[in-house]
Amino acid sequence: MNFSALNIILIGIAGLLGVGFYGLLITRNLIKVVMMLQILIKAVVLALVFAGKVSGNLGLGQSTAATVIVADTIVAVVGLALAVQVRRRFGTLDVPQISTLKG
Amino acid sequence: MTLLTFIGMIVIPLVSSPLVYLSGRLGTHETTLHRRSYLVRGLALLAILLAWIPFVLSVQIFLAGGIQEFNIEAIWLRVDGISLLAAAMVLTLGTLVILFSGPYMAGEVGEEKYYAMLLAMIGLMIGLACAGDLFNLWVWFEGMAISSYLLVAFYREQAASLEAGMKYLVQSAIGSVMVLMGVALVLANAGTLDLIQIREAMSGSEVNRLALLGAGALFVIGFGVKVAIVPLHTWLPDAHSQAPSGISAMLSGVVIEVGLIAMLRALSVLPGFSFSWGILFMAFGVLNILYGNLLALRQTVVKRMLAYSSLSHIGYILLGLGVALYSDMELGAQGAFFHLFNHMLMKGLAFLSVGALIYGLFLQNDSHASLKINDLAGTAQKYPMVALALSISVLALGGLPPLAGFMSKWQIFVAGFQTQNIWIIALMIFMALNSVLSLAYYAPLVNMMYRKTPSAQVLAGKSLSFAITLPLLMMMLVVIVLGFMPQLMDWITVPAAQTLMTMFGN
Amino acid sequence: MAGSLILLIIGIPWLGALLVWAIGDQNAKAQHTLAVIFSLLSGIASLILLAFVDSRPALNLTLAPAFGNLTFVPDGLAVTLTVIATVIGSLAVLFSVDYMRGEAQLGRYYFMVLFFIGAMAGLVLSGNLLFTFFFWEITALCSYGLISFYNDDPKAVAGGIKALIITQVGGVGLLAGTLIAYANLGSFQISDVLANAVAIPAGALSFMAFSFLIAAAAKSAQFPFHTWLPDAMEAPTPISALIHAATMVNAGIYLLARFYPAFESVPNWRTAVILVGVISALITAFMALTATDLKRALAYSTVSQLGYMVYAIGAGGVLASQFHLLSHAVFKALLFLTAGSVIHAVGTRDMRRMGGLSAKMPFARNVFIIGALALTGLPILNGFWSKELILEVGLEGSPLWAYILMLIGAGLTAFYTFRMTWLVFFGTQREELHVHETGMAMKISLALLSIGSFTTWLFFGGLNKLLSTTMPFHGIEEESTLEMVKAISFAPATWFALLAVILALTLFFTLGRKLALSESPGWLNTVTESSFGFESVNHFFVNMISKFAESLRITQTGELNWNILGIIGALFFVLAMLLWGGA
Repeated sequence: MNFSALNIILIGIAGLLGVGFYGLLITRNLIKVVMMLQILIKAVVLALVFAGKVSGNLGLGQSTAATVIVADTIVAVVGLALAVQVRRRFGTLDVPQISTLKG
Repeated sequence: MTLLTFIGMIVIPLVSSPLVYLSGRLGTHETTLHRRSYLVRGLALLAILLAWIPFVLSVQIFLAGGIQEFNIEAIWLRVDGISLLAAAMVLTLGTLVILFSGPYMAGEVGEEKYYAMLLAMIGLMIGLACAGDLFNLWVWFEGMAISSYLLVAFYREQAASLEAGMKYLVQSAIGSVMVLMGVALVLANAGTLDLIQIREAMSGSEVNRLALLGAGALFVIGFGVKVAIVPLHTWLPDAHSQAPSGISAMLSGVVIEVGLIAMLRALSVLPGFSFSWGILFMAFGVLNILYGNLLALRQTVVKRMLAYSSLSHIGYILLGLGVALYSDMELGAQGAFFHLFNHMLMKGLAFLSVGALIYGLFLQNDSHASLKINDLAGTAQKYPMVALALSISVLALGGLPPLAGFMSKWQIFVAGFQTQNIWIIALMIFMALNSVLSLAYYAPLVNMMYRKTPSAQVLAGKSLSFAITLPLLMMMLVVIVLGFMPQLMDWITVPAAQTLMTMFGN
Repeated sequence: MAGSLILLIIGIPWLGALLVWAIGDQNAKAQHTLAVIFSLLSGIASLILLAFVDSRPALNLTLAPAFGNLTFVPDGLAVTLTVIATVIGSLAVLFSVDYMRGEAQLGRYYFMVLFFIGAMAGLVLSGNLLFTFFFWEITALCSYGLISFYNDDPKAVAGGIKALIITQVGGVGLLAGTLIAYANLGSFQISDVLANAVAIPAGALSFMAFSFLIAAAAKSAQFPFHTWLPDAMEAPTPISALIHAATMVNAGIYLLARFYPAFESVPNWRTAVILVGVISALITAFMALTATDLKRALAYSTVSQLGYMVYAIGAGGVLASQFHLLSHAVFKALLFLTAGSVIHAVGTRDMRRMGGLSAKMPFARNVFIIGALALTGLPILNGFWSKELILEVGLEGSPLWAYILMLIGAGLTAFYTFRMTWLVFFGTQREELHVHETGMAMKISLALLSIGSFTTWLFFGGLNKLLSTTMPFHGIEEESTLEMVKAISFAPATWFALLAVILALTLFFTLGRKLALSESPGWLNTVTESSFGFESVNHFFVNMISKFAESLRITQTGELNWNILGIIGALFFVLAMLLWGGA
């Protein structure tokens, strides 16, 4: 693995994380929130494989990445299912409008 | 092989989870909802009672000095003092909640899913406590989180419930992501994820301090969302107050605590920082204690008040752990772990008592209203046992003798004062004063319940079944007994404290 | 033998508490009977314990390291207070049979009373500071439960919570002091602390001394914590007599007396103690002067007399303070219980509505006068001997200004006591109230206490012997009753005090009766009604905390984006902290 490829992956991870967190802070739509979470997870998957390669234990990195993909797909499914229910009860997916519990 | 018995306490709940779900879907439309409910409840109870057998055997093996490990290739499960403490807590509260939920959840839509998820969550939590490597830890953690999302949002007809579940999911997922980033950092630097081997791999001098600090911060914040450290706690008041009462008890009583254990496991692999973790824990402890107490003062919904009070109790535990890590004082860890166990009992008892009242006052009258402080008026007239249970739990939480909470807080105080460090002593006094402050919101509940004129809700309330009051009775007795004989829990808190000190020791 | 007695003294009331609660409120008669029997048994056991007084521990159980050894030491100080707690406790329970007749939730009432009696005995008998604290907190719990017994009355609930919070804050002082001692000496045993006080570094010892002073002041409702006791008068009157006059409030005095040898050499400590005593005694004497509620007046008077005891300790007179504690427990319980029978009969606590009850309640009038004379400190009654002893000790051991102020206090005491008696029993009846005479059970308790007010001073020799022989660290000299009588009768301090009292009474009988006794000058009223400004201090704290808490609610926005910001922000914060501290 040469220097610039390593850098590209690192930049990629950082970029995905940045987009994900920025999105989470800004977005008002519940589906977009779930999407941003997925972007973050992709960054993490990349990071795990990267870490595995860099430390010499690529097998471990890949297996953890695969497990994460599965686990977080489940999270995404649950999140979207909840979002569907929210749409049914609240009539909207607008985050500020579903914030009734305060204080 | 006897050394593998501990697998049983993880596997039995996990395997019975889908079985319980299926049994609930069995039968045609002719099979009454009623009968199916009893089948599901019965199976769930049976499953959890079976899981006690491997637990008891494990404890015996552990106390006799046997090592219990299990591995598939590089994935390890190990039993140590902390695992047993967590398993004890989860099984105790889990059994009582399953028993309690029998009448509470009877006839609800999706009842079999409730028990299935609850059993899964129990199995996953015990698995977490036995996890032997970092990634394994994360997987169990994520599993526990997912099952808890579904349980929090159980009442999908209630908008507030969904809202709480959604916010909990998003925030918890962010936490998980951060944990994974930390795992990646550790992997990049150590080449392995096994909790024991990482230490060896990183003891060399070429360790990248920046990366490890980053990993540490990510672990603290990532797991911290689950542990409800202020300012990451914002999901907690909503989730704990909107979930069904049995789940509120589980969340406040074990889920947060097991999250804390996961955090401790993850942090222990990062070498040479126990000093700073100690300071960090103490700082967050202070924040949690103060914030939790102040906000609980202003609540009118009882479950929300109890949720905020959980924040301050986590603060007490963090303070105890912080003192232990900073000053190498095992007694602090022992006190913290004892408080961990006691909080499970006391907060569990509190939530279940409130749940009993919600059951009698609202659920039986087909209402999903939340219990307000004013609704508590005159409860003792109609539900003396529940009023007594709630009073005892709340006074115990306030740290009054002769109840359990006093004894565990005392141990933390002793540890803090023994450090002879003036700042830590000041923190201990701060903690004691906050404990007094908490009485300002706990005591009015007791006064309200023993009024002579019942509220309208109490007058309209229906009777409670035995399955609801039995867990309350049992927990009350234990809280009182531990208040007089705290040494009864030494067999589990001392090994846990020792494990912690070795985990973090250099 | 002593060990089993101690277990009985604590265990019998506790067992009784459980039984009375378990029997249920339907069997009220059984509850009354059981309560009386159990408290009497405990009283008898503690009287027997007098024969087994010893400075060595009677019981010794080893517990886990963080808890020390559970020891009970039946020395003179402990057993005296135990006798007071259990005997007056049984009289208060006996009184409750009539007073609480027909009340609801008796199980809860008797549970807490009996639980309290056992805990109070445990508090003073304990030789392990942790268990002193343990019992201390239990008494606070029972006190709270009994003050707010009438949960439907918001004033009672507020009073209970106020008492709980204030005494608990004091409790933190006891906690801190105990743990400082433990951290330095490695032991919770009181005897170890007293023996090795010099081994504790000066700063730590100072901290411990003042923390204990705070704890004692809060528990005994001394300045600046005096605001909770008057509000505690919402409790049923037998409780006011038992807990808030005769026993629990003495716990603070006990603590100071017990640890006096360890702290007497701490710079400024004795002065602080004297100050606390003097200020408490004086300001509450003024408050008693203007009070219109009978029980509140008695409550102020209690704080004032406790101030005398605190003052005595500061001046070095531990024996004098305990002697007055004994006298005060008896005559104050007498006054409270009599007041209770009057209030029960008449239906109001407001003295302005009473008056002229002398004819309709002759028995009550007689015993009340006995108590009043004892409080004023007129010769023959027990109050005279003990108060004079304190003043004599004060003349020798405290600064002159303090002595003079206490002398003035004695005069004030005489004035407000006579005012109280006059307003209730004499003059013309201001309102048509239905009055009935005191019940039988009440009469027995009152009669016994009256006899006590005449005779307890005779036990001085015995008390002296108990304290001097079993308390090695206190260095109390031996003195018999006769010697004490001679010393007091001829001491100049006594004559000054009698002079002050006579002056006050003259003032009372000439000017006082002419002024409308029930109406006090406006300026004085404003000062006293706000407890010399301390109610505002309380209000200030409560408001500040409430407002702060309310303002924090804004952080729980409920909006997901803000929550996420919190998480990310915290991450950067922690990273920064770690980088700054670790790297």
